[in-house]
Amino acid sequence: MSEITSAEYKKVAVDSIADPVLQSALESLQSRLGPATQNLYQNLPEGQELRKTAHGYRRKAIDNLDILLEALADNVEKNGGTVHFAATDKEAVDICLNIARDHDVKKVVKGKSMVTEEIGLNHALEEAGIDVAETDLGEFIIQLADEKPTHIVAPAIHKTRQQVGKLFSEKLGTPYTEDPPTLTFDARKALREKFLTADMGITGCNLACAETGHITTVSNEGNIRMSTTLPKVHVAFMGMERIVANLEEQQSILRLMSMGAAGQQIGGYVSYIGGPAAENHCDGPQAFHLIIVDNGRSKILADEEFREMLCCIRCGACLNVCPVYGKIGGQAYGSAYSGPVGAVVTPLLFGVNNAADLCTGETLCGACRQACPLEINLPRMLLALRAKLSEGDAKWGVQPKGKSEKLMFEAWQKIIKRRKVYDLFLKIGYVLQKILPAQDGMIRRLPFPFNGWTNNRNLKPLAAKTFMQRWKEREGGKQ
Amino acid sequence: MQKKDNVTLFVQCIVDTMYPEVAESMVDVLEGLGLHVDCPTEQTCCGQPAFNAGHQQVARAAAEKFITIFEGAQTIVSPSGSCVNMVRNHYQDLFKDDPAMLARVKAIGERTFEFTEYIVDVLGVEDVGARFNGKVTYHASCHLNRFLHIDRQPRALLANISDMTLVEMKDADKCCGFGGTFAVKFSEISEALVEDKVNNIIASGADVVAGCDMGCLMNIEGMLSRKQSPVKVMHIAELLAGKSYE
Amino acid sequence: MPGRTEFIQTIGKALGRGAGNAGDADIFTTTASLEQEALLARIKTRSAAERKQLRGVIEQVAGPLHIDFHPEDNLDDIAGAIGRLILEKDPEWGTEKSVVRWDHPLLSRLHLESLAELDGVTLHTTDCVSGGQGAKVSAAAQRSAIRENVEASFIGITSADYLAAATATLVMRSRPGHARSASLVPSIHIVVIEEEKLLANLEELYTLLKWDPEEQAQGLTNCLSLISGPSKTGDIELVMVHGAHGPRELHLFIVKGEAP
Ligand code: SF4
Repeated sequence: MSEITSAEYKKVAVDSIADPVLQSALESLQSRLGPATQNLYQNLPEGQELRKTAHGYRRKAIDNLDILLEALADNVEKNGGTVHFAATDKEAVDICLNIARDHDVKKVVKGKSMVTEEIGLNHALEEAGIDVAETDLGEFIIQLADEKPTHIVAPAIHKTRQQVGKLFSEKLGTPYTEDPPTLTFDARKALREKFLTADMGITGCNLACAETGHITTVSNEGNIRMSTTLPKVHVAFMGMERIVANLEEQQSILRLMSMGAAGQQIGGYVSYIGGPAAENHCDGPQAFHLIIVDNGRSKILADEEFREMLCCIRCGACLNVCPVYGKIGGQAYGSAYSGPVGAVVTPLLFGVNNAADLCTGETLCGACRQACPLEINLPRMLLALRAKLSEGDAKWGVQPKGKSEKLMFEAWQKIIKRRKVYDLFLKIGYVLQKILPAQDGMIRRLPFPFNGWTNNRNLKPLAAKTFMQRWKEREGGKQ
Repeated sequence: MQKKDNVTLFVQCIVDTMYPEVAESMVDVLEGLGLHVDCPTEQTCCGQPAFNAGHQQVARAAAEKFITIFEGAQTIVSPSGSCVNMVRNHYQDLFKDDPAMLARVKAIGERTFEFTEYIVDVLGVEDVGARFNGKVTYHASCHLNRFLHIDRQPRALLANISDMTLVEMKDADKCCGFGGTFAVKFSEISEALVEDKVNNIIASGADVVAGCDMGCLMNIEGMLSRKQSPVKVMHIAELLAGKSYE
Repeated sequence: MPGRTEFIQTIGKALGRGAGNAGDADIFTTTASLEQEALLARIKTRSAAERKQLRGVIEQVAGPLHIDFHPEDNLDDIAGAIGRLILEKDPEWGTEKSVVRWDHPLLSRLHLESLAELDGVTLHTTDCVSGGQGAKVSAAAQRSAIRENVEASFIGITSADYLAAATATLVMRSRPGHARSASLVPSIHIVVIEEEKLLANLEELYTLLKWDPEEQAQGLTNCLSLISGPSKTGDIELVMVHGAHGPRELHLFIVKGEAP
C-alpha cells in the first residue's frame, strides 16, 4: 500500500524535463503562485513577523501535542462526535471500513485529503465494494485518469485542458471541449449527482482547534462543504500533528495557509466542524467520526532534528518556488507528498533508504524556506537526512548508502588536510586535464564519475598557478 | 573608515584553483580601500562539498583545519557567500554537541564576512570609484541572498560603478542549479536549471553576468561556453577592481 | 475510545514527558490581553459612520472576489432587487423556479411572498425541525422535506452572523431554521445582512468569537462556515472558473442601520 521508492526519481525527472507540455504547466504554476504568495506576505498587516510568530504557535502545539489531542477528543465527544486513534495506516483504514459497515455505506464522496492518500484509503474502500468519488476537481481528474496527484494543492497541474477534455469525453461521455469553464461544468454536473446520493463524506482536516473541539476544512470549490453537509455520515481524517491550541492562533495560521496555498487572503470556504448536526437542525450529518492518525509521526516527534517538520500545514507553497520541482514535477517524488515537503516527509514516513534520491536531489537553494508561510527550515532537514544516509543511523534504521562516495570524500579529506599534498594533486590534475577534449579553453568532456557535468556544459580548467602560489610569489617579491 | 585594518583572505577553493584572478582583484579592491591584506597559504577547502553531501565526519575535519588556520585572524573576508554561510552557519551544526568547539566556531563565524558585505556593512563604503564600460546583469546567489541575506550590498556596489549599465534579468534570484555534487549526481536537472538561467542572462542583453560566488558563475560559464555565447562571467571583485585605478 | 490511552502515551514518550516536562501550562489562553479587550470595546462601540466606511471596503473587495454587491440598502428596495434577480436568472438544473430561504426574522421582513411578480415561483423556507414527542411529523421527515426543497431550488437566500469587510467573509452557524445547505446547494446564493453585523477583518471576528461573553455562551456550534465569495476552482491549467460545486454567484445586500 505505502511502498515508496525513489529509484524512479531520476528516470521520471528526465522524462519530465523532456516533456514540453509539463514544463510549460510548471512554469505557469510557479510564475503565478510564487510571486502572489510573496506579495501577500509583504503586505501582511502584522508584518512578516507574523510568520515567525505562527511558527512559534505551531511549534508550541507540537511540543504539547498530547495535551492538545486529549482536549480535542474530549471536546469533540462532548459535541456528540466520536474520536478514533489509529497508530498505523492499517488501523486507520480499518476504523473507516467499520464505520462504513455500521452505516451500510454504499457511496462515498471525498474531499481532498493528503493523509487518506498516504494510508491508501480509496483502494481499501473500493475493495470493500464501496463507490468512492474524489470531488476536488483536480483529484477527480486524477481519479478518472487513474494517476497520482502531482501537487499537494493542485493535484492535476500536469494535465492540459486538452488532456482533460479527452479524458472527460471518454469517461463521462460529454462532448469534447477544451474550454475550462465547460469542463468544470461537466465535472460539476457529474459530481452533483454523487453529492446528492452519497451516504458518507470523507475529508481531511487542515487544522484542528483544541480548545473549541473543532476540525477545520478549507476549500475554494465548496466540495468539502458538500461532503460534510449532505451525506448522513462524516468521517474526518487528521494527521495527529494538524492541531493548534486556540482560536487566535488558528486565525493567523489559516490566513498564512491560504496565502501559501493559493495566494489568497483566506480560503473561499473555511468550515469549523465539531460534531454531528444537532437534533433540531435542518441538515448536516447524523454522525461525525474523527480519525486521528499517527502512522510514523510519533517517531518524527521523538527526534528533535525533525520535529520541526510536524509544524508543516501542507499548503504547498514550497512546491510553487522550488527550482527542482519546477523542472521535474510531482510524479518523480513517488508519494502523495511531492516537492520540498515531500523530499523531507517521504523519507521520514516511508524510510530514508527507500527515498535516498529524494534526500539528495535538491540544490539547497533555500527558496522553499523563504516561501513557506511558517518558514520551516526544509534545507536544514534535508542536510540532516543526507548525514543519516552517508553515515548511517540506527534509530532510523538507515544503512549507509554506497561506499564509493564515502571513500571519495575520505580520500579528499586526506588531500585537503595538507596544502603540500593538495598542491601535488592540483599539479597532476593540471597536467592530466590537457588530454581532455576542449572547447575555447574550456573542458568539454570530463571522465567518469564527473561526466554528468559535461553532458551539456563545459568546465573551466584548473589554473596554471593557484592563487596561493601567486600570493606566495607576490609576498616573496616584496621582501 | 578605519585605517590599515588587517583583513585575512579566506579564498574559496574554486577561486584558488580555477579563478585566481578573482582573489587578486579582491586584494586590489581591499588594498585600494587602505586595508592591509594577508593570506594564510595553508588553507584549502572549508568542507562545504562534504557537508552538503552528508559526510559530516569529513566536513568536521575540514572545519577543524580551518579553525586552526584562521582562529588568530582579526577579520576574515571571502569572495564566496556559500563559503561564508558554511563557516558562519553550518560549522555550528557540525559542532552542536561539542560546547567548547561550538564557542570557537561561533566566534570565528562572527568575524567572517563575505566580500561585499564587508565593504558595505563593515567599512560603510558603497562606491569604490570603479569604472566599467559595458552592460552587466547580476545573478543573486542562493546562499548569499537567502541564507546570509546579502543582496542590497552587491547591488549597491554595482550601481555605483561609473559608465556601467545594470540590467535586471528575469528570475535573477533563482537557483542556477549548481548545488555542489548535485550538479554531477543529478546532472540532467542541474543542466535544465542552468539552461534557464543562461537563457535569462542572454535575454537580458548583458555583456557580462556578475555575481558574488564563483560556484554559480562556474556553472553558468560552463553553459555559456557550451552555447558559444559571447557573454562573460565576472566576479563582482573583478568589476570593482578592473578599472578602479586606471 | 479504544487505542486512545496508548496513542497518547506514545506521544508522551516521544515528547519525553516526565518530571519537569509536563507541557506548557499556558497553552490554552484563558484571559484576554489588553489589546484584545480594547479591540472588543472598539467593535462594540463602532459608530454608524465607521460602519458606513466598512460598507465602502466591502464594495471595493467584492469585485475581485467575484461577489455581486448590490447598492440597495433598505428592506423594500432589497426585496425588489431580489425579486428581479429571481425573475432574471435561469435555473441551472431544471426549468422550474423555486427559491429557498432561511427561517430568519430579517428575511421574513422582506415579505418576498407578497411580491406580485413572483407568482409562479415557489418559495420555500427551511423551517425549524421540531420532531420530538407530539410532533405531527418526525424530525427525519422534516429534514428530508427540507433537503428536497433545497435541491429543487436554484436560489438560496440566507443571512449571516457577521461579515468581515477586509476579505468579505460571511460567517454562518448551524442553527434551527438556518440550513447549511441553503448557502451551498442552490446555484445562486443571496445574502442579506444588517450593517450592524459588519466587522473590519478576521482578527475582529476571532476576537469576538473567543472573548465576547455572548459568543462564548453560544460557541461555534457544530458547524461554523466562513464564506468569502462564490465557489471557484483553478484546477484546469489554473484558469479561474466560478461555480465548481457550490454556488456560481454570490449576491450581497447590506441593510442600512436604523437611524439612532
Ligand atoms: S513545508 Fe511549509 S510551504 Fe511546504 S507544505 Fe509545509 S507548510 Fe507549506
